[in-house]
Amino acid sequence: MSRIGVFICHCGHNISGAVDIDALKKKVAQIPDVTFVIDNPYLCSTPGQELVGDMIKEHQLDAVVTSHCSPTLHERTFRNVAANSGLNPYKLEVANIREQASWPHWHQPDLATKKAFIIICESVAKVKRNMALEETSVPITNRAMVIGGGVAGIQTALDIADGGHKVYLVEQDSTIGGKMIQLSETFPTLDCPQCIMTPKMTDVANHPNIELLSYSELDELEGYIGNFKAKVRRKARYINEEKCTGCNDCTQECPIYNQPMIRYAPKYSEFMDKEFIEKIEPCVTPYVGQSSALVQVLLDVNMKFNYLPQDAIKYVSEKLRVPLSKVYEVATFHNVFSLEPRGEHIVGVCVGTACCTKGALKVLEEIEKLLGIKSGETTQDYKYSLMEVNCLGCCALAPVVTIDDEYFHADPSDVNPLFDRYEGGSDQ
Amino acid sequence: MIKNSQQLNAFAKEIQTKKEKYKGKTIAICNGSSCRALGADKITQLIRDEIKKHNLDVDVVNVLTTGCHGFCERGPLMIIQPEEIFYQKIKPEDVPEIITETIIDDRIIDKLIYNDPKTKKKIVYKPDISFYKKQMRLLFESNEHINPKKIDDYIGIGGYSALAKALTMEPEAIIEEILKAGLRGRGGGGFLTGWKWKFCRNEKNDTKYVICNAAGAFIARSISEGNPHSVIEGMIIGAYAIGAYKGYIYVRHGYPLAIENFNLAIESAKEFGILGQNILESGFDFEIVISRGCGEFIAGESSALIASIEGKAAIPRPKHIHATEKGLWNRPTLLNNIETWANIPFIINRGADCYASVGSEKSKGTKIFSLVGKVNSTGLIEVPMGITLREVIFDIGGGMINGKKFKAVQIGGPSGGLVPESLLDLHLDFDSLKEAGTIMGSSEMIVFDEDNCMVDTAKFFIKYLMDESCGKCTPCREGLVQMHDILCQITDGKGREEHLDMLQELAWGIANTSLCQLGKSAPNPVLSTLKYFKDEYETHIRDKKCPAGVCKALIEYIIDSEKCIGCTLCAKRCPVNAISGEKKNPHEIDPMICIKCGICYEVCPVNAVERK
Repeated sequence: MSRIGVFICHCGHNISGAVDIDALKKKVAQIPDVTFVIDNPYLCSTPGQELVGDMIKEHQLDAVVTSHCSPTLHERTFRNVAANSGLNPYKLEVANIREQASWPHWHQPDLATKKAFIIICESVAKVKRNMALEETSVPITNRAMVIGGGVAGIQTALDIADGGHKVYLVEQDSTIGGKMIQLSETFPTLDCPQCIMTPKMTDVANHPNIELLSYSELDELEGYIGNFKAKVRRKARYINEEKCTGCNDCTQECPIYNQPMIRYAPKYSEFMDKEFIEKIEPCVTPYVGQSSALVQVLLDVNMKFNYLPQDAIKYVSEKLRVPLSKVYEVATFHNVFSLEPRGEHIVGVCVGTACCTKGALKVLEEIEKLLGIKSGETTQDYKYSLMEVNCLGCCALAPVVTIDDEYFHADPSDVNPLFDRYEGGSDQ
Repeated sequence: MIKNSQQLNAFAKEIQTKKEKYKGKTIAICNGSSCRALGADKITQLIRDEIKKHNLDVDVVNVLTTGCHGFCERGPLMIIQPEEIFYQKIKPEDVPEIITETIIDDRIIDKLIYNDPKTKKKIVYKPDISFYKKQMRLLFESNEHINPKKIDDYIGIGGYSALAKALTMEPEAIIEEILKAGLRGRGGGGFLTGWKWKFCRNEKNDTKYVICNAAGAFIARSISEGNPHSVIEGMIIGAYAIGAYKGYIYVRHGYPLAIENFNLAIESAKEFGILGQNILESGFDFEIVISRGCGEFIAGESSALIASIEGKAAIPRPKHIHATEKGLWNRPTLLNNIETWANIPFIINRGADCYASVGSEKSKGTKIFSLVGKVNSTGLIEVPMGITLREVIFDIGGGMINGKKFKAVQIGGPSGGLVPESLLDLHLDFDSLKEAGTIMGSSEMIVFDEDNCMVDTAKFFIKYLMDESCGKCTPCREGLVQMHDILCQITDGKGREEHLDMLQELAWGIANTSLCQLGKSAPNPVLSTLKYFKDEYETHIRDKKCPAGVCKALIEYIIDSEKCIGCTLCAKRCPVNAISGEKKNPHEIDPMICIKCGICYEVCPVNAVERK
C-alpha cells in the first residue's frame, strides 16, 4: 500500500484553458492508492515548488506524480525538490498534460480533460512500480573512435582530441577529406572547400591525440558506452610505409591502375535455373570479365526480359566481376531499367519540351484513362506498361508516343487508334 | 579495299561520272525517324513495287532512301531529282499516281505540293520554299543526296577526301587549320575546338581516346541517321591530329536506326580500308566502338558521359582536371559533339578561310537548330551563325500558328532561357545568346505564343530538370526542389511578394555552386522569365490571375448566356457533369463541381465559354 500524491499545474491558462481542472481533480482522487491531490496555478514557481516539498513531508508521501509540461523542461526541477524533501527522486514521475493534452486538443475541452486523466492514470501506475534508485559512478575508457574521415568526421575528431582525449579516426579511403574536398565551391556562401579542409586535414595528421587509420575499415564492434571493443582492418598497402614519401609515382605506373578490386567472386549462378541461364547467356558471354561493358550488358538483358530480374543482376555481377552494389547502382540510376516485370508492349509517352507544348501531358492522361493504369505501372494482364520518356528526337512529330520500338504521332483528343494494331487495345 | 588516296580519288570519279551520265529521275525519299513514324518505309516499299509493276528501267527512275531532310512536320517527304520537285504529306494511296503522273508523264500532282501557310501560294520546287530559302545547309545538304547505309554514295559526293588530305598534313597543321577556322564546340559550351585539340595533342601519353557525343536529341539523331560517315571522317581526322588509336561513339540506345547506321558505316569503312590498320597507307591505325547510353539528360554532360562509357552510372565528377588531361580511364580524351565532328571534313576540304567567312565575328560556320513549338513550319534547320531570331521564326518558320501573337522563344533545351519579343532581333551566336540570358545548349528552339503562361512554363522546365538531376551535389538536388515548390505555390494562387526575391536568391546559389553544367544552367528558365516577364509573376501573386489562362487554380470557366445556343455539347462532354441547362436554353457551369479541364471551352461551337 503506497501513498501517492498528485500535483496538477494550471500553467497559467495553458492547461486550465482546455482541461477542466476541478473535474480532473475529482476523478484523480478516485484512483486507488492516490491519497492526495492538489492543483496550483504555477507549480514550477518557487511557491509551487515549496508546496510540493511541504506536502511530501506533511502527508508522508512515498511516490509523487506531477502533472504539467514536458519532462524535458521540469522533471529535473521536481526530482530535486523530492530529493530535498527526503523522497528518492526516482519515485517521482511527470504526467505531460500540456504538450500531450491541452495544447493539441485546445478546441475540444472534453477530449483534453479525458486525455489528461488517462495520462495521469498511466503515470500513477508507473510510479507505483518505480524502485528507489541510487546513483553510482564507474570508470570508463577515455578514448573515442570516429568512423569516416569526411568533413564531419575530421571536425569531430579534432573537437574530441582538443578536449584532451585520445581519438582513432578510421577512413576507408587512402586519404581523409571525403566528398567535400572534391567540390569547387560550397553552398550557399561559395567558400572554397580546399581552404576549409586542408588546414583541418593537416591538423588531424599533426595532432598528438589523434591516431589516423586511413585505408582501413571497421570489421567488428561490440560492447556499450564506455567499454567498446572494435576490430579495425588495415588494408594491405603493398609498400613499406616507413620508406614511402607519398610521391604517387607508383600509382601512375601501375599496369592495373583503376581496375576494380574483387576480393572474392561469389558463385550465384550455381543456384540458378538452367533455362534462365540459357536465356541470359548470349547477352553476357561476349563481355565476361569486362566491367566497362556493364551498361551495354544491362541494356541487352533489359531488352530481352523487358526488365531486370534479380537473378539477372546477380548473374551479370558474377560474370562481369562487378560488385553487386555497383550493378544495382547503375540499374537503379537509369530509368530505362526496370526492376519490376513489365508488360508485353512498352508504351512510352515523350514528355520532352516540344511534345509538352503540343499536349503530351494530355496524351499521357488519356492513355492512363484508356489503359486504366498510371505512368510507371503495368496492366494486370501484363499486356502494356506505360512510362514517360525523355525527348525522343522526333520533335517535329510532337506529341510522340512509342510502342515498343515504333514511333507514332498521337492526337491528344483521341488516343484509341494508337492501340488498334495491338488487338483493339485493352478490355476497356 | 582502297589502298591509298589515288585509289580513293579514282573511285570517287567513277561514281561521279556515272551520276553525271545518268539521265533518269531519282526519287529521294526521306527515311529519317520522323518520316518513318509517318509511314515513309511503307511508301518506299510501295514505290519499289509500283516501279516493278510498270516495268520501269533503272535508267528511267531509281529510288534513293535518304536521311532526314529537316522539314519533318510535312513528312513523309519526297524530292524528285533532277528537277527538285518537292512532295509532302504523302499517303500510301498517292503512290501509283506519283509513278504514272510525275515519273512517266512529267506532270506535277497538285495535292502533294507545298502550300505556303503565309502567302497561301503553292510551291513546286524545293529551293523556292521559304523554309529552305534562308537556310545555309553545309552539313545537311548532302543528306538528300546519299543513302546513309551506302559508303559509295558518301565517297561519290567527295566523302573521305578530307581524310586523305589530312593524312598528308602534319598533325599540328591540322590543329592550326581548325583553330584558324574558329570552330567552336557545338555541344553548347562554345569552347574553341582547336584549343581542345591542342591541349590533348600536348599531353604525353601513349593511350589517348576520342569520343563523339551523339547522345543529344533531334539534331544528333538526324546526323547519325542521315550521314554517319561524315562523323566518322571527322573523328579519324581528330584522332590523327591528337594521336589517338581508339574512338567511341556514344549513342542513345533508344535510337536503333542511328545505331544500325553507325554500325553499317563502321563495317563498310573497315572493308574499304578507311578504318582499321594502316589507313590509306599512312601508317595510322584507328578503330571506333559504339557505346550505347541509357538516354538520361545528364548523360550529355562530358564527365557523366565518360562515366557511362566506363560502365558506371552517368554521374558527373568535379572538373579540376579536364578530360583532355585525364578523361576516359584517366587517359587524355578528346570529346566533341557530333555536330562538331561533322564540321571537320568541310574545314579540311575547303580550308579555314572559307569556313570562317560564314557566320558572325566570334562564332563561325553554320549551326543546326531544331525549330519546334507554335510556328507553322517545324523541323531541323541549318543557318549561318549570327542570323536573327526574327528571320528564323518568321521567315524560315513561317510565322506563328493560327496567326497568334508571339510571346517568347526558348533556346538551348530545358535549361535555356526564354527570350521575349523585344529581343527578336537577337543574333544567334554563342556570345549574344549568353548576353540575353540563355545558352546555345542543345540548340533546341521552342516557340511560345500568347496562350502559354510563362510562370507555368518555367515550372515545367524546373520540374523536368529536378527529375533529371543526378542528385550528386546539394544545390542542384535540393535547390531545384525548393524552386519548384515556390513556383507551384505561385501557380496555385498561394504566391507571396517575397517569393520573387527567394527565387532570385535560390537561382543565384544553384547557378554558382552546382557541380556540373546541368545545375549551373538550370535556373535559366526562372531567371529569364523573372527578367522579361516579371509582370506575369506579379499578376499571379497580387491579382491571383493567370493572364494566359493556363494555371488551373487561377482561372474560371463561365458560359456567356447571350452567346450560348443551348446545343448541349458541353454538358455531354463534361467529365464531372458540372454543366446544367435545358436544350436550346443557355447553360451554366457549377464552379463548385468544375475541375477546369477546359473541354467545354474546346468543344463550344459558338465560343460561348469564356476563360477568366
